[in-house]
Amino acid sequence: MMAPRHKIRTRVNGRIVEREVEPRMLLADFLRHELRLTGTHVGCAHGVCGACTISLDGRTARSCLTFAVQADGAEIETVEALAPDGPLDTIQSAFHEHHALQCGYCTPGFLMSVRQLLREEPDPNEARIRIALAGNLCRCTGYVNIVKAVQTAAKRLREESAEA
Amino acid sequence: MTVDGDHKGYIGRAYPRKEDDRLLRGYGAFIDDLPEPQDTLSLCFVRSYYAHAKIVGIDTSEAEALPGVVAVLTGADFTGMIAPMQADSEKPGYKPTSREAMPVEHVRFVGDAVAVVVAENPYIAEDAAELVEVDLEALPAVVTIEDALAEDAPLLHEEIGDNIPFAASFESEGFQEAFDNAEIVVSDTFRSARLAAVSMEPRGCMASYDRGKEQLTVWSSTQVPHLLRTGLSELLDWPENAIRVVAPDVGGGFGMKAHIYPEEVIASALAKKYAGTVKWIGDRQDDFLTSTHSRDYRYEVAMAVDRNGMIQAVKNRLHVNIGAYACFPYGCSAEAGGGAIYMPGAYRFPHYSFQTSSVLSNTAPVGVYRGVAAPIAHFAAEGLIDRAARKLGMDPVEMRRRNLIQPEDFPFVNVVGIRYDTGSHVECMEKALASIGYEDYRRDQPEGRLSDGKYRGIGVVAITEHTGQGAARYRDRGLHRVPGFDSAFVKIEPRGHVIAYTSHATQGQGHLTAFAQIIAENLGMDPKNVTVIEGDTSLSPYGSGTFASRAAVVGGGAAYRASENVGAKLRRIAGHHMEVAPDDLELVEGAVRVKGVPEMRMTIQEIAAIAYSMESRMLPEGESYGLEATDYYDPPGVSITNAVHAACVTVDAATGRITVERYAVAHDCGRVINPLLVAGQVHGAVAQGLGEALMEGVIYDEEGQILTSQLLDYLLPSAADVPDMKMDHVESPSLDTVGGFKGAGEGGVIGSVPAIVSAVNDALLPLGVFVNKVPMRPDYILNLIESANAAGEEKRKA
Repeated sequence: MMAPRHKIRTRVNGRIVEREVEPRMLLADFLRHELRLTGTHVGCAHGVCGACTISLDGRTARSCLTFAVQADGAEIETVEALAPDGPLDTIQSAFHEHHALQCGYCTPGFLMSVRQLLREEPDPNEARIRIALAGNLCRCTGYVNIVKAVQTAAKRLREESAEA
Repeated sequence: MTVDGDHKGYIGRAYPRKEDDRLLRGYGAFIDDLPEPQDTLSLCFVRSYYAHAKIVGIDTSEAEALPGVVAVLTGADFTGMIAPMQADSEKPGYKPTSREAMPVEHVRFVGDAVAVVVAENPYIAEDAAELVEVDLEALPAVVTIEDALAEDAPLLHEEIGDNIPFAASFESEGFQEAFDNAEIVVSDTFRSARLAAVSMEPRGCMASYDRGKEQLTVWSSTQVPHLLRTGLSELLDWPENAIRVVAPDVGGGFGMKAHIYPEEVIASALAKKYAGTVKWIGDRQDDFLTSTHSRDYRYEVAMAVDRNGMIQAVKNRLHVNIGAYACFPYGCSAEAGGGAIYMPGAYRFPHYSFQTSSVLSNTAPVGVYRGVAAPIAHFAAEGLIDRAARKLGMDPVEMRRRNLIQPEDFPFVNVVGIRYDTGSHVECMEKALASIGYEDYRRDQPEGRLSDGKYRGIGVVAITEHTGQGAARYRDRGLHRVPGFDSAFVKIEPRGHVIAYTSHATQGQGHLTAFAQIIAENLGMDPKNVTVIEGDTSLSPYGSGTFASRAAVVGGGAAYRASENVGAKLRRIAGHHMEVAPDDLELVEGAVRVKGVPEMRMTIQEIAAIAYSMESRMLPEGESYGLEATDYYDPPGVSITNAVHAACVTVDAATGRITVERYAVAHDCGRVINPLLVAGQVHGAVAQGLGEALMEGVIYDEEGQILTSQLLDYLLPSAADVPDMKMDHVESPSLDTVGGFKGAGEGGVIGSVPAIVSAVNDALLPLGVFVNKVPMRPDYILNLIESANAAGEEKRKA
């Protein structure tokens, strides 16, 4: 059952890491238990709930459906990269103001998905936001305030980029 | 929001949460995020693959030979180590049954644990679990309510003689006469699917034993740390002072995590056995198989109404499928009892009769889940109001208006003796109708309800929510293992910082903010200077924990009283030194000052230094050192929250698919502590109710195999399924509770199930059909539409 380990080298939140891992180790487990980046959560391990969403080479990915060895040579960002210290980023602040999180378990996945959405579509309407976030499940908020937070964040990010 | 004259404004303010920052940064610490001590052992449970079976043999040799496996244990290994989990009750009609944490001879549902692997890491533990050979001899299985009640049904727990561990009944005096004399009677049998709570974080626990100190620490994703500690002490026969339970960040619970589970007991026993740390993290399949399910009801209900639409009498015959075991520590009467008690909600029922029972089956145990029986009790009652109004040719909203509890009825005692101290049923009705635009909707509703291939309907329902139940209610319900009270310990430290510990545990409700607001208000300081800590039995005084919408009422009341006591001491010390009577002092902006003379003041830091003997001034004679108070709060009864929910739906005539297009709630949970948090509770619960109404359902086949064991099979509402919601807060402060608070956790789901159903009933009016089952999946709705069309066709031909 114990398979030979493979050496992988990736950049995680800007830091180069090298580790030897079993080929079957999930990327989510690698991030959480090898690197202790426990902000990324596992809610279903089947790619349905989106709690494990990370950024892999600039695109969102389900870290529960990705093996750590697949991330060899890749650039990974997790929720911990958004605002490691200092003020919350624009999306996080909007989530805070609008009470868009309750238990907080799904929140890191939502933040990563929202970031991707607003990079691709700076001005999504409500219907578009709801469809774009349909791959992230939340059992606490009923999504009402998440949608509001995304609208607020989108507006602020547009203003910020207009100023820049 | 009402802010009265001398209101300092922290209670009632939309204060953003103190909890958020770390959760947004990814610095939360849920059970599987906690640092593991070195050499932590992982558990993986091997579970029964039959619904009902005798254990013939279990071969663990191959699994034990796997490198990295420490041991594989079976039920026999725990005999004498773990006492049976017997959830007894003092309620008449209750027959106690028992559950072995790990059965030795007899398994009763798919998921019952038959062995546990202890290994060096979770990957190896899972590999080894696959290698355990379990030989089971299948027994006939009972799956549905009908199976359980059949004359020759196999018995789940032979010692009780049947499959009915709880039954109760009630009939108001003069019921039969009132029922018989009413002009019309409407009736139906209402069914609801079995649900899973599906907190996004599955269950898990970690237990660590300190061999030298003989102390066990258990971190668990639980809603009830104190009850878990008492339960572990009882089941393991260890002293309570050798056990500490900590609930870390908990990723949702909804009642499901308010039970004590075999995995928590087994992990604790194994931590001691191996004198180390043992960890079990359930995956989603464990969760669907073994975490408590809910609902799974059959309500046979008849409503007798006079020609003016006034409800005269309601007859409720209720069965609840409670699964294979009574839950620990509550037992199995909550659902059946609740379904009976909750039905007379927002309307005046002069007469009522119920017969209710819990039935056992070879399915996962059913426990409390957000709303308990109320969503379906109201689905049945509101469904009958829809039918009666149709029969009488009356607008369904008009019939509801006539039957609502009126402002002059308060304090109102309903037919089963529940007291409503205050409420706003009529005001909420008018607000919700305005918010959803009822009159305009009716005016614009298409002829025959059908346009663009979609039937269009609106539903408006009035509900109540039983919140903040105290000791008296739990005694009355026979649940002697639920204390009913909660507690708070509020302390000002020597340098003036405030810290408070409460007996609650939060799963996302925002307690750390809400309780800080209450304490801040009573101590006259900013909530940002108040730190609230929950979930650790070694820090907080005893209490019941967080379930049944009790935190705001009971924990809020305890925090209110404890902080008032600390405030009184601040005033006594300051009064002594300022030579002013304490009653002439007020706590404002971090200081105690003379009313009307704001420049005469002492800061809280100054007073704290005196209280801790850290400056030259002395405490008044007879005053003890320190600045702290512990207080308990036990509300006198139950706080009744009320709401009106309104939904607009479309029903696709070709596919049967229902879409909820608009939604409005007018909600009254008494004095609001934080409107952001209340709205969040309602939004989330409405979405859960939408899932219950439209899609969710655990499915067992006729042999008791579970067919929905992943989120791929069990549909949850996504952002694309849930509409925006309009919300009105009405505040009728409770007269019976400290602070005037009522609970808000469950009303959303209680209202949204019947509201969405009622809207579908309205949409399908031209077909003359009514919904009597949830979820209303497309196949069910399409079948209703097609049968109605076929019947219409027959009629035309005839």
